[in-house]
Amino acid sequence: VARWLLRRTAWGAATVLGVLLFLFLLFFVYAKPQDVARRALGEKAPPEVIAQWLANHGYDKPAFWNPAHPLDTMLADHYRRMLTFDFGKSDADDVPIAKRLRHGVGPSLSLTVPLFLLGLPLALALALGVAFFRDSYIDRVGVVACVLAMSVSMLIYILAGQYLIGRLLRWFPISGFDPDPSVIARFVALPLLVGLLAGVGSEVRFYRAVFVEETGRDYVRTARAKGAGDGRVMARHVLPNAAIPILTNAVMEIPFLFTGAILLESFFGIPGLGSITVDAINANDFATLRVMVYLGALLFVAGQIATDVAYTLADPRVRLE
Amino acid sequence: MRRLAASLLLAIAAASCGNDPYPDADASARILYVPFQEPPKTLDPQVAYSVYDHEILSNVYETLLEYHYLKRPYQLIPGLALEVPKPRALAGGRVAYRFELRRGVRFASDACFAFDGDGATQRELVASDVAFGLMRIADPKVGSPVIETFARIAGLRAFGERLAKLRESEAGFAALRIDEQYARAGPVEGLRIPDPHALEVVLDAPYPQILYWFAMPFTAPVPWEAVAWYDGREGRDAFAEVAVGTGPFRLARYDKRSRIALERNPDWYGSRHPEWEAPAATYPSEGATGDAERGLLSAAGRPLPFLDRVELRLEKEQIPAFTKFLQGYYDRSRIPKESFDQAVREGGLSPAMASLGMRLERSVQPAVYYLGFNMIDPVVGRPAGERGRKLRQAMSLAIDAGEFLRVFVNGRGIPAQSPIPPGIFGYDDDYRNPYRLPDLERARRLLAEAGYPGGVDPESGAPLHLSFDTGDTSVQGRLRYQFFIDAWQRLGLDVQLAATTYNQFQSKVRNGAYQIFFWGWVADYPDPENFLFLLAAEMSQTHSGGPNTANFADPDYDALFRQIKDRENDARRLEGIRAMREILERERPWIELFHPEDYALVHAWLHGMKPSGLAVPVWKYQDVDPALRAAERSAWNRPVRWPAYALAGALIAFALPGFRSWRRERQ
Repeated sequence: VARWLLRRTAWGAATVLGVLLFLFLLFFVYAKPQDVARRALGEKAPPEVIAQWLANHGYDKPAFWNPAHPLDTMLADHYRRMLTFDFGKSDADDVPIAKRLRHGVGPSLSLTVPLFLLGLPLALALALGVAFFRDSYIDRVGVVACVLAMSVSMLIYILAGQYLIGRLLRWFPISGFDPDPSVIARFVALPLLVGLLAGVGSEVRFYRAVFVEETGRDYVRTARAKGAGDGRVMARHVLPNAAIPILTNAVMEIPFLFTGAILLESFFGIPGLGSITVDAINANDFATLRVMVYLGALLFVAGQIATDVAYTLADPRVRLE
Repeated sequence: MRRLAASLLLAIAAASCGNDPYPDADASARILYVPFQEPPKTLDPQVAYSVYDHEILSNVYETLLEYHYLKRPYQLIPGLALEVPKPRALAGGRVAYRFELRRGVRFASDACFAFDGDGATQRELVASDVAFGLMRIADPKVGSPVIETFARIAGLRAFGERLAKLRESEAGFAALRIDEQYARAGPVEGLRIPDPHALEVVLDAPYPQILYWFAMPFTAPVPWEAVAWYDGREGRDAFAEVAVGTGPFRLARYDKRSRIALERNPDWYGSRHPEWEAPAATYPSEGATGDAERGLLSAAGRPLPFLDRVELRLEKEQIPAFTKFLQGYYDRSRIPKESFDQAVREGGLSPAMASLGMRLERSVQPAVYYLGFNMIDPVVGRPAGERGRKLRQAMSLAIDAGEFLRVFVNGRGIPAQSPIPPGIFGYDDDYRNPYRLPDLERARRLLAEAGYPGGVDPESGAPLHLSFDTGDTSVQGRLRYQFFIDAWQRLGLDVQLAATTYNQFQSKVRNGAYQIFFWGWVADYPDPENFLFLLAAEMSQTHSGGPNTANFADPDYDALFRQIKDRENDARRLEGIRAMREILERERPWIELFHPEDYALVHAWLHGMKPSGLAVPVWKYQDVDPALRAAERSAWNRPVRWPAYALAGALIAFALPGFRSWRRERQ
């Protein structure tokens, strides 16, 4: 197991280093720091101010090779900073990126964690229900509803939710965020509801397929033959056996709880990590964008390793070798 | 199924919380709620130049002079200074202004003042703080955008150069504390401090408009301790992210990505000494005509400020912000284009909005938008002589600014007759520019006289080809410019849109390779000089990089400009302005389009709100009635709950038959 873990981690590290190289080429070679400086400082900025800005951000060094100090290049700086998590300052307003990330984690988690914790059981319960009544009208209508729900774009859910629930029914504030404990629930409620509705369709359909496949297996027939009730069959036999695809789906989501929900955060004005990415794109803030892509890659690799480990826990037949 | 029911119940329970975005404890507080569309770029008063920056800054920092809140034309009043100084002529054409500072003014208490180790967290404002702020403008590391203006202060630019040289040449100088650096590179000849509460500013040449700059945040006094302490190192914020001023409010919370809050500054001199009845700390008793009828004088003579807090929330999109305003959660709002017809009828408030007790505040901004001709162009410019002039006159007669306003900005603006907008000395409400009334007949005649009958260029036998140059490639921009192009096409002219990137457009402008363009100017300060200088030859864009993008150069105009620019607002000045207006009327370097008008909706509970186009501390004059607000909010926001019950019922009704048949089968 230790050797497997080592090998997986090495592959993951190689992937992340490759992503970093790609980021460097994209943000230092293709898009030049001079252009970023011009955007940050405005058209009227005199050359001295631009030079000062480049120096302050370390963008005045040679890109790949510095004969005098081989390690004093932008490439070396880029790797050193990313690998030591010393992210530096935003290109747009010089705020330390680490500080911005710290402030963004809370709002993101306060939406994504409830979304995950409510969404998964809700999808599983609905899927079990639909699979349980398979081939009845509940199953057919359920599947049609799921397909319909999947086909509607997230944006429609957001705008319709804001209009119907926020504006016409006045249940919740239509957007905004405040970490104050007395009001935070009001702000999270609507994006949560919208997120659940938008996500539940595809998940129910997927889990239903898994469950339906499992219920056709021999062990289910055996269990029934031994006199187990319908409810017991679904909960005690089908659910654990369907764990592998469920885990693949669910464990992979956990690391991304930290990166936030990009669309929900931007439209509901939640100052989380997802909207940091959008803001960084809009403001040409490449320093922040690089960090977000890098963190995304790290979390993806971590998620994959975690999923593999989770398999062994769910199914003794799977071994890490 | 049970889980589904549980989560539905949860949703219904949560629904009973309602849509109030603010903590219940704040419901009865004197808080002003306003949205902000973009966060400030910087809170460094010497650097900040955008509307968003100044909205916050002008209420936290203070300046030596301020504008009268109500009077129009704008009028300077003393702020931190005891009075508006008069210029004193010195030898060699120099001019001095002596500012006497109000005594007993303190900076808001802040950790940075503990710098010198005596433990005190605040201190008194002295003249050297004002000088320090002005010296920062010249500091190249600060990067202030207004050094050109303040270089008129004797020796200020040289100070900045000495500072830069010392930082470069002397090891360890750049690591010195900022006040020590400035002391070593100083003093500045034109900034004298005869006593700790007086500052004498010496200019190399007369420039009366300098006083207006002393009402802008650029000149706000800044404590050196704040600049030294807030250096962005070791977990401290950068100076651009904090505000240590003397103003009526202080920054309570600065979360640029969602919420900015100001709270009443208990150390403000106006709050500590209402008995001083200082001009900038007392609600004015006189206003412009009509202000009394609009209830703007009901707080006359009362000490400022009225509000305890100002809460700003980020609203990037206009529609949600407007919806929250309609729900009573913002106290004032701009009107999104999509909702304009819902809110405004025939220039006034729509009956639906009026029935909610709202008011509509309209105010023309001190700004002008125009179409300009490049006057050094051989076809449309001065080299074409009389032909060019008649062509410009004809093209001016073809543009209907009123129609443009109706089509593109819901009529929010007034057609411009000259560069000078209302509220500025020299604006004449009765003046009608004879070339700014759409008159196609006359335009065609002039075009024929110019040698382009029916718009046809006799040399090529085809319609005269002109180019409309712009650095705006957006769809909205294209639609706007097409409006002008279509209008000229009615004269038979063939104007082509040349939309390039902003950088390419800039380089075309630098090289003089452009013909017609669309441009605007917003006043820095309320003086006609700030508009008329846009056409002075010395300001030529192509020759000197100045803001005279039309490259207009007329010796008579320039002579008149030199006469009026440094004059008091007297009859001679008005006469000069009229003469300049006549030159512009005939020469047509510009086709004046409009002065934009701000429409703001204001709830009944917000008092003392008068829009201003300049960076003015406005929140200290405003007040809210929290009781009325709370009552209206709860009346307007009763949640509609039945759809939740109906949905739950429908789901149960849907699942029940299936459940029943399963039970039957089991038995």
